[in-house]
Amino acid sequence: MMLAWAEIRRSSGRFLSIIGALSLITFLVLTLSALSDGLFFGSTGAVKAPSAQAYVFSEDAEGSFIRSQIPAADVEKYRQLDGIDRAGPVGVLLTSGKASSGELDVAVFGVDPESASAPQTVTKGRLPTPAENGVAAIDDSAKGVEIGSTVTVGDVPVEIVGLTSGSSYQLQPTLWTTVDTWTAMQESVRPETRGLPAYVSAIALDLSAGTTVESLRSIAGTVVLTEDQAALAIPGVEQQRSTLNSIIYTTLLVAALVVALFFALIVLEKRDLFAALKALGTSTGRLGRSVIIQAIFASVIGVILGAIASRLLGLVIPSEVPTLYLTNSLIQISVFTIVASVLGAVFSLRRIAKIDPATALGGNL
Amino acid sequence: MASNTTTADTASTGSASTEPILRVNDVTKTYGEGHTAVTAVANASLAVKEGEFVSLLGPSGSGKTTLISMIGGLLTSTSGTIELGDVDVSTLSKKDLTAFRAQRVGFVFQASNLVPFLTAKENLVYVATLRKDYDRKQASKRADELLGELGLSERIGNLPEQLSGGERQRVAIGRALMNDPDLVLVDEPTASLDTELGRQVVQLLAREVKDRGKTGIMVTHDLRMVEYTDQVFEILDGKLSAEGTGKEKAKSH
Ligand SMILES: Nc1ncnc2c1ncn2[C@@H]1O[C@H](COP(=O)(O)OP(=O)(O)O)[C@@H](O)[C@H]1O
Ligand SMILES: [Mg+2]
Repeated sequence: MMLAWAEIRRSSGRFLSIIGALSLITFLVLTLSALSDGLFFGSTGAVKAPSAQAYVFSEDAEGSFIRSQIPAADVEKYRQLDGIDRAGPVGVLLTSGKASSGELDVAVFGVDPESASAPQTVTKGRLPTPAENGVAAIDDSAKGVEIGSTVTVGDVPVEIVGLTSGSSYQLQPTLWTTVDTWTAMQESVRPETRGLPAYVSAIALDLSAGTTVESLRSIAGTVVLTEDQAALAIPGVEQQRSTLNSIIYTTLLVAALVVALFFALIVLEKRDLFAALKALGTSTGRLGRSVIIQAIFASVIGVILGAIASRLLGLVIPSEVPTLYLTNSLIQISVFTIVASVLGAVFSLRRIAKIDPATALGGNL
Repeated sequence: MASNTTTADTASTGSASTEPILRVNDVTKTYGEGHTAVTAVANASLAVKEGEFVSLLGPSGSGKTTLISMIGGLLTSTSGTIELGDVDVSTLSKKDLTAFRAQRVGFVFQASNLVPFLTAKENLVYVATLRKDYDRKQASKRADELLGELGLSERIGNLPEQLSGGERQRVAIGRALMNDPDLVLVDEPTASLDTELGRQVVQLLAREVKDRGKTGIMVTHDLRMVEYTDQVFEILDGKLSAEGTGKEKAKSH
């Protein structure tokens, strides 16, 4: 479209400013979203990594692995239920251990390596076998820990035999061990748990096809949550996510407002020109299309620049900052920003429609 | 003025030169209603032939703009009919009026109102794109020719801000002629120019209108400009009267 392009080419300054604003907004939103995704996966990876689609917690635990305690015998009871393929114990201990590289915060997950609670994301080495104590796999976010390293929790040392990825818990690398090793570590770090009847923190469930969490009859004293519910119940996760999401949505709204304002100003400034163009026989639709084309152009370029900037930041950002650049989030946010911009521009269409071509004549009133 | 050549010219294009192409019959325009109603044009009638360039004279607020706005399809009349050739302008819908203006009317505004981010040539080509039968090559050729005739060959690639006031008005004239309209409407074309430049622009307009067999109406309140027009109409408080030929009117003052 002749008018739209010529204006972009010849008044590039003003379009650079709107493109700049939109790329900053996109940059901000993408970076926030990478942080949101990074925090989310860093906090919930250990819940997502196993095959389980559901987790069982004690009734009073509100989905918290730390607060939940379930008699060990309940694992077998769940295994017998209709609709359950596999049930695996999960014992959780948030603590710090010692590695040769120094102090290390870890989330110890005692699991059945051959059941629903075992992580599926082993990238190197292996998991412990079911009765193998004194060994563990660890999430690859653990700094300075390799296969063959020793990590000691309390007075219980384990040799690392495997690495897993994307499986941390509350931003701490997960140490995947057997339930027995977890119990030994728990009793060493928290002496008050010694001598309790056998228990686990939670039970991971593989549901058979067609079974839903709602249709499951839970054992007395326990509740069953979906994997997603269990992930959101991890302390801080839901708050982080909703806070960051509301910042993201607010920023997208700002994008729409910025574009709306920009085109409102452009249309205001070009009122006389648009009146003359209408008098010459330009339809309102054609003028409107040219504004929309400009909005699409500015937002597409802005989004591309913002995305590039955000990825560049991702390359230099220290690995302590949990960021995760997901293609899905990129596509979603890009589309949202472009749609928000176009919606912003749509507001000026009404103004364009209202311009009376008759005002092009007779400036001598 | 070489009115003989004009007649010969239009005759050779096949139209009857004695039949008016523009007929304004008993047109009235009232703005507003009730107490606040203003009758800007009252029972105006006029007829203009092909190749005729007429001026519409009158003080500010007398109804000049209102009248040519109705003739140009920018405003609907309260009563009366306006016919351009075989079209009754007063019956057209808003959408048809837009197309009517694009194809059959050329406007020269008081301030040239060129598109500031289009070059002189692009300003001409732009109005060609408004036609249903827009042809890129043909439009480009015609724009070159028109700008050449208007003495702007060296300026075709310049933006309006790089042109002088007189050059801008000449580009505006080219734009008005671009779609080969039947009617050219000009509103105070000299308002932003000094007398000498204004005179040149009006002479140019008169020549183009006649040579091309157009019908032209120029609104002005500058008596010095009417000598280049064939007929003079004067409007006072909305009432239109014929004032004879441009030469006579110019002499009488
Ligand atoms: N849109 C309008 N609404 C109401 N009154 C108008 C409007 N346009 C013009 N008028 C009135 O109509 C009269 C004629 O105006 P106009 O045609 O612009 O005169 P001229 O062009 O001769 O200066 C004036 O009294 C003016 O105030
Ligand atoms: Mg006027």
